[in-house]
Amino acid sequence: MRAAFHPQHWPLAVRAPLIVALLMIGIAAAMSKVVLDRLARDQAQSFRQLTGAYLDGLSTALHSPVIRQEPWEAFDVLDRARHKYSGVNPRIVLVILPNDTVLAALDPATYPVGLSAPEKAREDLGEPDLADPGGRVWVHRTLREGGKQIGRIAAEIDISNIQQVRRETFWTLLGVNGALTLLFAGLGWLVVHRTLRPLLRLSTYLARAGDGRLEPIPERKLPPPDTEAGKAYRRYNAAAIAISEREALLHRLADQERRALLGRYASAIAHEVNNPLGGLFNAVRMIQRHGDDPERRDRAATLLERGLTGIRNIVRASLVVWRGDGEDRNLTSADVDDLRFLIESEAHRRELSLVWNNSLGEGAPVPAQAFRQLALNLVLNACAASPPDGRVVFDVRSDETAVFLSISDQGPGLPEEARSSLLSAGSREARSNTGLGLWIVSRILEEQSATIDIQGPPGTAITIRIPYAQPGLRHAA
Amino acid sequence: MHPAKARPRHISRRQIFAGGAAVSALAIPTLSQAARPVLFGLTPVFLDSDIQLIADLERYLSRFIGRSVQLVKRRTYQEITSLLVANQLDAAWICGFPFVQNREQLRLVAVPLYRQAPLYRAYIVTRAERESEGIGALRGDIHAFSDPDSNSGFLATRSLLAGLRESPATFFARTFFTFGHRNVIRAVASGLAHSGSVDGYVWDVMREIEPALVSGTRIQHVSEPMGFPPIAAARGVDPGLRAAIGEALIGMSGDPSGRTILGMLRLDGFVAGEPRLFDSIAEHWKRAQEFG
Repeated sequence: MRAAFHPQHWPLAVRAPLIVALLMIGIAAAMSKVVLDRLARDQAQSFRQLTGAYLDGLSTALHSPVIRQEPWEAFDVLDRARHKYSGVNPRIVLVILPNDTVLAALDPATYPVGLSAPEKAREDLGEPDLADPGGRVWVHRTLREGGKQIGRIAAEIDISNIQQVRRETFWTLLGVNGALTLLFAGLGWLVVHRTLRPLLRLSTYLARAGDGRLEPIPERKLPPPDTEAGKAYRRYNAAAIAISEREALLHRLADQERRALLGRYASAIAHEVNNPLGGLFNAVRMIQRHGDDPERRDRAATLLERGLTGIRNIVRASLVVWRGDGEDRNLTSADVDDLRFLIESEAHRRELSLVWNNSLGEGAPVPAQAFRQLALNLVLNACAASPPDGRVVFDVRSDETAVFLSISDQGPGLPEEARSSLLSAGSREARSNTGLGLWIVSRILEEQSATIDIQGPPGTAITIRIPYAQPGLRHAA
Repeated sequence: MHPAKARPRHISRRQIFAGGAAVSALAIPTLSQAARPVLFGLTPVFLDSDIQLIADLERYLSRFIGRSVQLVKRRTYQEITSLLVANQLDAAWICGFPFVQNREQLRLVAVPLYRQAPLYRAYIVTRAERESEGIGALRGDIHAFSDPDSNSGFLATRSLLAGLRESPATFFARTFFTFGHRNVIRAVASGLAHSGSVDGYVWDVMREIEPALVSGTRIQHVSEPMGFPPIAAARGVDPGLRAAIGEALIGMSGDPSGRTILGMLRLDGFVAGEPRLFDSIAEHWKRAQEFG
């Protein structure tokens, strides 16, 4: 689930506007910082100049009253200067004597003559901090006469108007940049969405191909052929048609192969039926000639029965194998034994020894039809590959989860192409050189979610594990 | 008040002055002396910033005396008094205290009429919101005086404290001079001084003109009536000129432009006055001097 939230999995129509928005935020933040820094510098410089002019004016006028320590004249200077410096907004102005007492203040009621000057007014702390949260800063000017300090001016300046300008600038920048970011993100989404729309449609068609339905895009939905999207759509259509044709061809070939197999086994069955026929006729003749002799008649009857049973078994097995698709019955032990009748004749014809181990017991929940096709193809392949007098071992077992089918022979081993065709079951690739028998095996393996293990040479030992079909499991695979 | 009536008096007085001046010119002063402007000193008794008033007064006196009159202003009482005594000024509006101090060198020209009497009072004022009564409550104050040569702005309070066997230096924590009655009011209203000594006439008039400033103060102590700051001339000044200046001032209430000036000054007019009007100030001086 966490992987789904990874930005890599987000649609491009979301990622692109997000990237635009992030870029805009980055640019806006950088620009805002530059603007605010510049504003702060300008304000600081302007503040320095204004307060400098204010203090210069005061110090010139206060020089004489401070030397004579005249409170009235000092106050008179402060009072007359009160409204003359519109850019400066002093809250407290103190004229302080070298003994740190107040000679005069702009507000004498709060800072009377002779009062000990407040701490902040005593010491010049250098460059004032215009970001001071209190909105007020102290500025100082020392008054000198002949190199000797005669007093000083300390003023607390209200800088709330400066801070107000900063705040307003900040919020304006934030508002404008925020609006621009949203606008560009929206435009980005729109542009990307429009640009990607044909690609997304193509992606939808390709996704359907994953479900096995590679269908061409209808002509009326095709963009103009001279556009990139138009070209891509047409290439997709060409590929879809080619793949569909190839699938159809393969199915046709598989059908033909099955029919050829049918022909081969029809002749094999005929041979198997023909073999006991001589014996059966002999038995019939024996009954005709020595029907009165109960012993001979019984022996002839036994021979007849054995021969007919053999014919019946072969016929039944053939019926079961070739009954056709569509049957969804579970595998039984009898199905495996039926196969034996079909194989034995082939083994016998090739003079092979067949070792048949059927440990299936009461059966297993795997489709009988698919299993039989799978086993028949593989065991016939093993017979075909085995040298005369060779041994083919057929083994079927089951446990709680799966059926295990093992077939081994003493042949030269599977050709590399056949091996990779089987091992890549599920790739849906039909290799032209491997024959349809193995292609069918591959398809069944894929349909049954079966796994395959191939050993050899020397010889070939194939083990297939077919898991039990569970509701939903097969569809999930 | 009645221009129709005032005009004949006005004209006749001008004729008299003109005649007197002509006689004087023949008798004593040289031509050059008669040609130089009459120098009239003003102490910062009142609205020291009222340029309009000064211009009007200058124009009025020039017209009435028939000679160019130049008003001379200085920052302190001391400067004006010194110039007057040294015959550098023909006449000056000074305070009663310098008049008493220099009685021998000076001649009384006229005394203003305030509220129909040539009298005024000295006030001791404090901040309006201060709750205190009597002069004793002001002990330990920072006190603002107007001028060392002002009666109401210094001497009256000095004399009052002498009655308590105190001096400003012992009674108050700190004192300073503001060289202007208006400045005393500013100093007290702003809180720079806890209390101040001020001319009662100035305080009353300013309460009308600048109520916002004066409302920051209230009267804590009122003196007895004393002689209003007079117009005096140096002893050596030509008596004719002295008389002309006196007539010009006394005739002010009978002249429309003169009444405008009186209106600005909130005065009723001028009278010849008597030097004994200032005897009580002399008493204060004596008392203050006795105590040191």
